[in-house]
Amino acid sequence: MIDVSGVTVRYGTAPNGGGGSEPPEAKTASGVAAVEDVSLRIDDGEFVVLVGANGSGKTTLVRTFNGLVTPTEGTVSVDGTPVESDLVSARSAVGMVFQTPRDQFVAPTVAADVAFGPENLGLPREEIDRRVAAALDAVDLTGRDDARIATLSGGERQRAAIAGAIAMAPTHLVCDEPFTGLDEPSRRTVLDRLRSLAADGTGVVVVTHDLRDVVGLADRLVGLNDGRLVVDGPPAAVAADLTDHGVRVPIADHERG
Amino acid sequence: MTLAYAPGDSLAHRLDPRAKLLVQAGFAAAVYATTSPHGLLLATPLAAGCLWAAGGGLDDVRAFRFALPVLLGAPVVAGVTLGEPWIRPARAATTALASYRVGLILVVTAAYVRSTAVRESRAAVHHTVPGRLGAMAGLGVALVFRALPLLRADLHRAHEAVHARGGGARPVYVRMRAVAVVGVRRTLTRADRLGTAMTARCLSWNPTLPALSFGRLDAVALALGFGLVAVAVASG
Repeated sequence: MIDVSGVTVRYGTAPNGGGGSEPPEAKTASGVAAVEDVSLRIDDGEFVVLVGANGSGKTTLVRTFNGLVTPTEGTVSVDGTPVESDLVSARSAVGMVFQTPRDQFVAPTVAADVAFGPENLGLPREEIDRRVAAALDAVDLTGRDDARIATLSGGERQRAAIAGAIAMAPTHLVCDEPFTGLDEPSRRTVLDRLRSLAADGTGVVVVTHDLRDVVGLADRLVGLNDGRLVVDGPPAAVAADLTDHGVRVPIADHERG
Repeated sequence: MTLAYAPGDSLAHRLDPRAKLLVQAGFAAAVYATTSPHGLLLATPLAAGCLWAAGGGLDDVRAFRFALPVLLGAPVVAGVTLGEPWIRPARAATTALASYRVGLILVVTAAYVRSTAVRESRAAVHHTVPGRLGAMAGLGVALVFRALPLLRADLHRAHEAVHARGGGARPVYVRMRAVAVVGVRRTLTRADRLGTAMTARCLSWNPTLPALSFGRLDAVALALGFGLVAVAVASG
């Protein structure tokens, strides 16, 4: 369970203890709060969609989940343990797929990259191999172990990034704008993988500004506007309220009804 | 193309990376210590043999084509003078031999790179150099192997972007400046993101690295490596 309690993140006034870079949101909120007094609980196995316009604080908020960004105020706990007190546990428990997967690969081939996280945990080689095989299987990349990252398509790259995160055996997977730049079949494939992970009990948090694909899957929609939590509830109950709360979310025509 | 690890089952792929590093270091030392054309002539089939043992070929050597103008141009620059006698063949020959040496070392390097996974290189350095220094050096090696192709791709994209909007009509120094500035900026941004991604995946000084062990084949490679070092010492 991820428990966010009264979290405020201000850039320019607080150290970024997690070693993360200043995300785009901060640029629009330079010197002011990128996230302000947000409280939120995400249970294991829950599929949460975090929506909001560009600069609303989504990326900053999810980066507090595993200590890449340290809150200026408030606390974030993962499975009851404050994130700052055990960063390795938090980062193992909350896998993160970044907005631009291309930049997050640390090895030239698929299997080597997927193994990077488990290797850092100091696991035995057999366990690492087992996790790599399972992660590749979970994202339909079995047999692509030695494929070079540079030769993968956009969808495959996104799935390889997801495999790299789930090889850490996280209880939660955070995907930051996972559909950016993907064509329809690739979006579908990534979506299917996320659906399977959620069905298997992994909590999934999808950060997006585009509700087209994920609204049907979500247990909850959480909306941010200017760093504040403005919507939180089941999609059927709150989707229509999003624009009323100033959340600029482009919804496809067929979903507008 | 960019020279990179190519998964395979060649002779060199089966060798322990520490043995390969020794051969490479020994070879570099031997050819640098060898000043005669005969010595370099003997080193040539050895370099070709290393590449062959790694399952490589001309395509791998082609990855070093960017070094070719420097290697070919150096003897000319060294031999030409601005006055009488205009050309000094002895100087040109000495520099040509030096260029040839570098070429041979690049061939052996290609054999190493195409037959050794980055993780194995990291493990080899980590195991060979003791303590935190070895861990740092191993991580450094891994990052360099990862970063160089990305840097090249970034510069290539910057180059394409300049030309896509008619930048080819601008003077060379303007184009070079544009590519350099954009390339460096992208590289720094990428490095920042890569650092964040590694942090998110619990970057560790002491990760589980591939198990390394010397086999029978390695005995041959080690003998070759030590032999080359001996040649270098004897020649020096």
